[in-house]
Amino acid sequence: MIRLFARNIVRFFVVVLLQVLVLDNINLGGYMNPLFYIIFILLMPFETPKWMILAGGFLLGLSVDLFLNTLGMHTAATVFIAFMRPWVLGIIAPRDGYEADTFPRIYYYGFRWFTIYTLILTFLHHTVLFYLEVFNFHDFLSTFLRIVISTFLTALIIVLSQYFIFRK
Amino acid sequence: MKGLLWLLRKYYNVLIFIFLETIAIILLNNNSAYQRSILVNAHREVSGTLYSLIEGGREYLYLKKNNEMLVRENTLLRNQLESLADTADTSQINVYDGDYFYTPARIVHATFMKQRNYITIDKGHNHGISGDMAVISDKGIVGIVLESSSNFSTIIPVINRDFRLSVKTKKENFSGILHWNGNSHRTANLTEIPYHAELETGDTIVTSGYSAIFPEGLFVGTIENFQLEEGNFYQINVLLGTNYQQLFHVNVITNYLRKEQLELEEETDQ
Repeated sequence: MIRLFARNIVRFFVVVLLQVLVLDNINLGGYMNPLFYIIFILLMPFETPKWMILAGGFLLGLSVDLFLNTLGMHTAATVFIAFMRPWVLGIIAPRDGYEADTFPRIYYYGFRWFTIYTLILTFLHHTVLFYLEVFNFHDFLSTFLRIVISTFLTALIIVLSQYFIFRK
Repeated sequence: MKGLLWLLRKYYNVLIFIFLETIAIILLNNNSAYQRSILVNAHREVSGTLYSLIEGGREYLYLKKNNEMLVRENTLLRNQLESLADTADTSQINVYDGDYFYTPARIVHATFMKQRNYITIDKGHNHGISGDMAVISDKGIVGIVLESSSNFSTIIPVINRDFRLSVKTKKENFSGILHWNGNSHRTANLTEIPYHAELETGDTIVTSGYSAIFPEGLFVGTIENFQLEEGNFYQINVLLGTNYQQLFHVNVITNYLRKEQLELEEETDQ
């Protein structure tokens, strides 16, 4: 239990640093910017109490915001997916539910389940974030296009990371 | 009472969600509030130090290019010096030159693909930098200093949706407003140039100097294309001189006469 807690705290710092120091400098075509840090929310254990996910989402968003000078934006988006996570998990639950001692990973639930899970939460996160960033609906379509492209990019990196970094 | 407690227990996570989301929105809205400046100032010192470490490595990769750029600028300045020495008549030198002081600074962090981009530089209060100072590079204007802490400052560059600057066409002195529409980091928009101006693709756009932040006549960019909007104004795309993707060193301009100008304007307003 304590090991699990410690591991999540270490992951928190790794993910934030990776996001602000490396990934934020990646720019493909001027529009796409992978927001890998939300993997922290995705990988939290199934049994995590809801308030803890929300608090984690808040701290995560705030840390990223402080580094990127966008106070409030990432916080709002990340708290939102932290709130939606139990609901999304409920929708895509396998027929027998989630087994004890397993984590939301490819290793336990397979590529297809994890990809759908990632795509839904990433899309929700990016939708909130990008519309907050633009803060109007004038460029609705161009913003939507950016959301879709960035969602695929972020999801791709998160799914790939399952094979390389967070294997188990 | 019992029902209320039951409700609280059932929906406490919704309440927490609403509470945290409210904090986030408040943070988002208070862009220039006091709390933000305290929070961000303390943080800027930490992130600035971290970023300058990383940037040091990145800079190393571009050393050659940077050197070439500095040599070019040196040559340019030497030539200017030479032409001034030839005149040898001090009355021809612009007396106002002494009113501006240039502080070199290194960029430690910059974004260029967001809607609200910011740049962090490694100079702050300790080096005489404070808010509302102009920032330029050898290729043109860069932005305006937003806030400073002891050793770092954040700059709001042209490629930020909140940026507004009065500029003019160099040829005919028609002034307009430069802003950015959030698309490419290479182009900005210029509006409020009246329809009777004669424009050509490639015309130079320079600062107008009305704002008391930028000195007059600094290079901004060139006209990429333009069209006449309904309502007697041109809609112009300006190719910016500064390429934010390859920016490492900037100069911050201190305007010694700014305070005097602002005070006078304020008096006139009353």
